[in-house]
Amino acid sequence: MSQSKRMDILTLASLSLGLLTLGIGAFLAFTAPPATEQGHVYRIIFLHVPSAWVGMVSLFVAVAYSILYLARGKAHYDRMATAVIEVALLFLSLTLISGMLWGRPTWGVYWTWEPRLTTFAILLVVYIGYFVVRSAIEDPELRAKASAAISILGAINVPITYMSVKWWRSLHQTQTFDLTTGRSNFDPAMLPALLVNILALSLLFLAFVRIRGLLAERESAKQELSPQAG
Amino acid sequence: MPYALRHGLFAFGVWRRAFDVHAMTLLTRIFWLALRDLTLELRGRTGLLAAVFFLFTMLLILGLALGPNQDELRKAAPGVLWVALAFAGSLLAGRAFGLEVEDNTLDDLLLIPGSREWIYYGKLLFQLLLLLAVGLVLLFLTAGLFYLPLATLPGILVTLVLGSVGYASVSTFYAGMLARLRGREALLPLVLFPVVVPVILASVRATTLLMEGLPLGEVAEWWRLLLVFDVIYLTLCGLLFPYVLEG
Repeated sequence: MSQSKRMDILTLASLSLGLLTLGIGAFLAFTAPPATEQGHVYRIIFLHVPSAWVGMVSLFVAVAYSILYLARGKAHYDRMATAVIEVALLFLSLTLISGMLWGRPTWGVYWTWEPRLTTFAILLVVYIGYFVVRSAIEDPELRAKASAAISILGAINVPITYMSVKWWRSLHQTQTFDLTTGRSNFDPAMLPALLVNILALSLLFLAFVRIRGLLAERESAKQELSPQAG
Repeated sequence: MPYALRHGLFAFGVWRRAFDVHAMTLLTRIFWLALRDLTLELRGRTGLLAAVFFLFTMLLILGLALGPNQDELRKAAPGVLWVALAFAGSLLAGRAFGLEVEDNTLDDLLLIPGSREWIYYGKLLFQLLLLLAVGLVLLFLTAGLFYLPLATLPGILVTLVLGSVGYASVSTFYAGMLARLRGREALLPLVLFPVVVPVILASVRATTLLMEGLPLGEVAEWWRLLLVFDVIYLTLCGLLFPYVLEG
């Protein structure tokens, strides 16, 4: 390795802008008026929804990188797909945890086998499986191919998770734990906080992925230099 | 010689000649590949026997653990049915390309001119038939040991077909990708299960609803979901297969 790559201006800019926006978002989230029925508990939505959005949308970015890898066969695309999924998993875990923290005071339980939660759990299992598979295969090319296939096939779960609230409501008349009702008619006074938080998490996502991609690039460069130390 | 038999033999001859001169359509290729593998599998019997024996052992253990209360066994039946089929399917998945690698015929297969999607669909047809055969055996074993009611047998069969197509499409795909890898038997279930979990869950739900005697309208929602998975997996796996196959 002749010259080690460093974080470029885009990474640093999105990181600092993201942190700044996150601060503004937090301020807006705590100054937004309390909800009529839930009081202050609802404020967790300002973390829950943005992290879910960024996490799920980014899985499609990972699909794009995976397709690029299968078509072109460059290790870079494989590294980027992995970086995207790794950060997406972080955001999706954040969604899960914030959802559970909201569920306890509102529904009375941390977890219930409701369609949205179930499909979301499946989604998480698929992408945790992505990393299990990566750790199990030693041959880099085969590892990249197998995980690209998981990323492409697994992304079907994203629209299914998204639509689960609408599709299966008929099956669950007794429990209407519909995450969109009571929240979808979003008060205009609350909307800016949500949008700012989505922007903040998107910027942070971009920064994290770029940093992770850089780390992965250095790791593979190191392995090429000393394969026996691997 | 009766007409139907003569006609059948004539048709068979036409198919064979078509096969010999390589002038056959892709569908014919798919059909012949599946037929060849099925013949080999039925002659060897190791794969099928191992899967069925494994299932039987598993059902006995689960039956002893969950029984002997009939209601509880019946409640567990759909889950047992699909978990057992999923495990048996992962045992069978290795058979899709196992013989090709053992007999060094995979390269011959890859040398056949034309695109390679048809190899995937031929192997898929073979896997699907195996899975359906094992699934049928399993269905009646579950009905006997776990009191799974067979009143809605057509509905359960529809679920079995839809679930098996989804499962086999992914298992064949990964079996092809890992065909030349040492230790593929251990790795195959690992890569397979994350992707087929939604199919298995939807099948379990559909079977449970059928068992509880709910109207077909509600079951159809799960069938539709299964159908969506089947179509997407079939298409995507077929498109990706030539890229992941090691030539």
